[in-house]
Amino acid sequence: MELILQSIVNGLIQGGFFALFAVGLVLIFGVMSVVNFAHGELVMIGAYTIWLLHAQNGLAFIPAIGVAIIVVTIIGLLMERFLFRPTRDDPLAGLICSIGVLFILQVVATLIGGDGPSKQVPPPFHGTMVVFDSLRIPYQRIFSLVVSIVALSTLWYFLTRTKLGWALRAVALDREAAALQGININRISMIAIGVGGALAGLAGALMAPLTNINPHMGHNVIITAFIVTIVGGVGSLSGAVIAAVLYALFHTFVTVYFGGTLATICGLILMVVVLIVKPTGIMGVRVSE
Amino acid sequence: MAVLEIKNVTKQFGGLIALNDVSFSVEEGEIRGLIGPNGAGKSTMFKNIAGFYTPTDGSVIYRGQNIAGKSPHAIAEMGIVRTFQETTLFQELTVFENALVGSHITAKTDLFSAILGLDKAKQTAANEKVMEVLDFMGLSDRKDQLASELPLGSQRALAISIALVSEPRLMLMDEPFAGMNPEETNHMMDLTCKVRESGITIILVEHDMKAVMGLCHYLTVLNFGQLLAEGTPEEIRNNERVIEAYLGGAN
Amino acid sequence: MNSRLKKIIGSLVLLATLVAIPHFLKFHHQDLLIFLTINVLVVASYRIVTLTGEWSLIHAVMMGVGGYTATLLFKNFDLGMWFTLPLAGGVSALIAALLCFPLFRMTQFYFLIGSFAAGEAIRLVWIQYVNPFGGTGGLSGVEPPIIGGIDFLDAIPYYYLALTVVGFCLFILYRIENSRIGLTLHAVHWKAPLAESVGVDTWRYRALAFVIGSFFVGIAGALKVHYLGTITPNQFGIGFMVFILIWVIVGGYNRFYGPIIGVVVLTVFDESIRSFAEIRPAIYGAVLIISILFLPKGLESIPAKFKAWFGIGSNSDAPPLADK
Repeated sequence: MELILQSIVNGLIQGGFFALFAVGLVLIFGVMSVVNFAHGELVMIGAYTIWLLHAQNGLAFIPAIGVAIIVVTIIGLLMERFLFRPTRDDPLAGLICSIGVLFILQVVATLIGGDGPSKQVPPPFHGTMVVFDSLRIPYQRIFSLVVSIVALSTLWYFLTRTKLGWALRAVALDREAAALQGININRISMIAIGVGGALAGLAGALMAPLTNINPHMGHNVIITAFIVTIVGGVGSLSGAVIAAVLYALFHTFVTVYFGGTLATICGLILMVVVLIVKPTGIMGVRVSE
Repeated sequence: MAVLEIKNVTKQFGGLIALNDVSFSVEEGEIRGLIGPNGAGKSTMFKNIAGFYTPTDGSVIYRGQNIAGKSPHAIAEMGIVRTFQETTLFQELTVFENALVGSHITAKTDLFSAILGLDKAKQTAANEKVMEVLDFMGLSDRKDQLASELPLGSQRALAISIALVSEPRLMLMDEPFAGMNPEETNHMMDLTCKVRESGITIILVEHDMKAVMGLCHYLTVLNFGQLLAEGTPEEIRNNERVIEAYLGGAN
Repeated sequence: MNSRLKKIIGSLVLLATLVAIPHFLKFHHQDLLIFLTINVLVVASYRIVTLTGEWSLIHAVMMGVGGYTATLLFKNFDLGMWFTLPLAGGVSALIAALLCFPLFRMTQFYFLIGSFAAGEAIRLVWIQYVNPFGGTGGLSGVEPPIIGGIDFLDAIPYYYLALTVVGFCLFILYRIENSRIGLTLHAVHWKAPLAESVGVDTWRYRALAFVIGSFFVGIAGALKVHYLGTITPNQFGIGFMVFILIWVIVGGYNRFYGPIIGVVVLTVFDESIRSFAEIRPAIYGAVLIISILFLPKGLESIPAKFKAWFGIGSNSDAPPLADK
């Protein structure tokens, strides 16, 4: 029972991370129809920024998060401006370019942190909250969960309650129709990748004290993001959030009882099954060709 | 004897009824025109016959066999081949190669004969058939040109050539005259007649009334997914319901 | 007649070069030459999958399936290389055939992601099940054959062996591509509905291309493990898959020899930047981006471009495969 409760809490916190980067991937795919293979590396750069500024150079944690978000957002904007925009007519070209970025960012991380063992960031928040006598939640994790929820709520508000958010969703639904309505596609694309990059940077920053940081950590991130995106429904943000939480719970439980590799295998098989049975995902709408 | 019988075909997309209980039949050797205002369901009917759609209800009987719901390639193997509305061609292949794709059914090859070169006889036969069709359609001079380099009229002729190489019994032509000038239209009408004379039944969806009236033996008129009228071009021309439907559409 | 003579002379020169080349190389480079030869088969087999327009991300893993098959057959049943090679191809093809049922219900983006997921799942199975796959550490102890007293453990004999096998496979792949089956695969790619309307079962042809490609990359996997002696799951991860993509894209995928040019040029290039050690992947990444942005039809389009600039060469030399 104790283990189950603990796993549920851990799963929810994990779900917050998953949602942050999966939502970014969905947003970028929805608006720009490009699969950003470097999304995991954006998260990785966020984590490295925290390691470099906070753990190595003593900058306080919260401002370091701010820097991480800004750095990753800028990388995202550069990718849109110089890679995705020129290749907009060919989704495959965009994907390949993002793979190129993936390589470059991995090398950047190696240059910053050296080739040695994985980096650790000591948690800036100490102490553990004890609930029901046995359930222990470190404040660091509570902080992450709260920030994730706040960030996702802000995004939700932005997308549903502001004019710009409305334009963004219009482009995701039908780019050509939106362009005919006078929506500036380039501007919206910049916003989409900016928001996606910021969320990825935030996810990396929040994960930094809780995980091993190395140049290849993006690999697991992108696999998770794909699973969540497909299961949630390509192009559905709410689907991605729901799928992120459900998959995180699922993954945490399978990891606890059967090990992490098997958990990922199950996740991948689940994803293939969803692709076969309902390619639109649990919340998706069929987007016509 | 009827080659093709459409029996009570209905096609729904969600709540939208594109075809509602339509029945008609086509005789061997005729050129049948399928006409109607925009959105009448002509293209939907074509797609139901050629297997690109499955009718929600009703049956499509081809030579006594219900083909509704079969896949397009299975229907093509039975001898029904469609051409496409826009100039759908393999733009990056030559005219000859385009037509050769059409010989898929008649000159089937398997992997091992392809690797070992055991199907020379079939290959030669297929090549000869392609040349014969290109001659017939007046394209043999252009056989090594890329499809994308052809003028519109020749592109349409090539689209028909691809279909002809597969030796169909029934050909569904989707707006073969769209976007053509009068000269091209006349040439295309001649070609269509030649195709029929070679023993192929034709069903034609077309907006060009001059071509339809000049070519077709019998017309089937659809409107809002329903059968509006049937008859010879003369009868249709004077049918008040048809005139009303077209004028209504024009308003 | 003249052009045929040219062709024959060209082939002989190429053959002589290929035979002579290892004798002018240092040991380390001889090793590299063998892997290059194997990688030529990897990209050529990948090309046949892409002919139908589907970019799969499972090709590297299918190579691994071949490699693991050869390893397990060698270690458990003591089968020699002449059995493990075709059986490795066969098992890869079989797995591919089974995967066709889920994967080819998808197209484009969904197929890309679906094939990636299926590949990762297979790779994680190798990691998860230490018996028989050896887990993350993989398996070792695979040996090359000894035929007629020649020990193929030496680089030069093994190179000739690999060259023969790869050459034979390339010949078959070339025959397939230039047969009517190849034409049909092209047709399925460019205008699937039109192909269907003349009786082509597009599902079957996409599946066929996938199975053929997997068969040959399975053989490549077996060739690799018999030389290297060891196999690990990480050899066939997304990293290697990305390299396959880079080779094919930088080389150009509109012609049979495009990907082969890509893998040869980039391997030589990669070797020449060896001194940059840890930033090599970044250079690779940059080359990939630059070639996508400035040379979207790959290296193979350069001769035609040159001819166009200087106004020589006939129409038929230009590869005007239209961009989609």
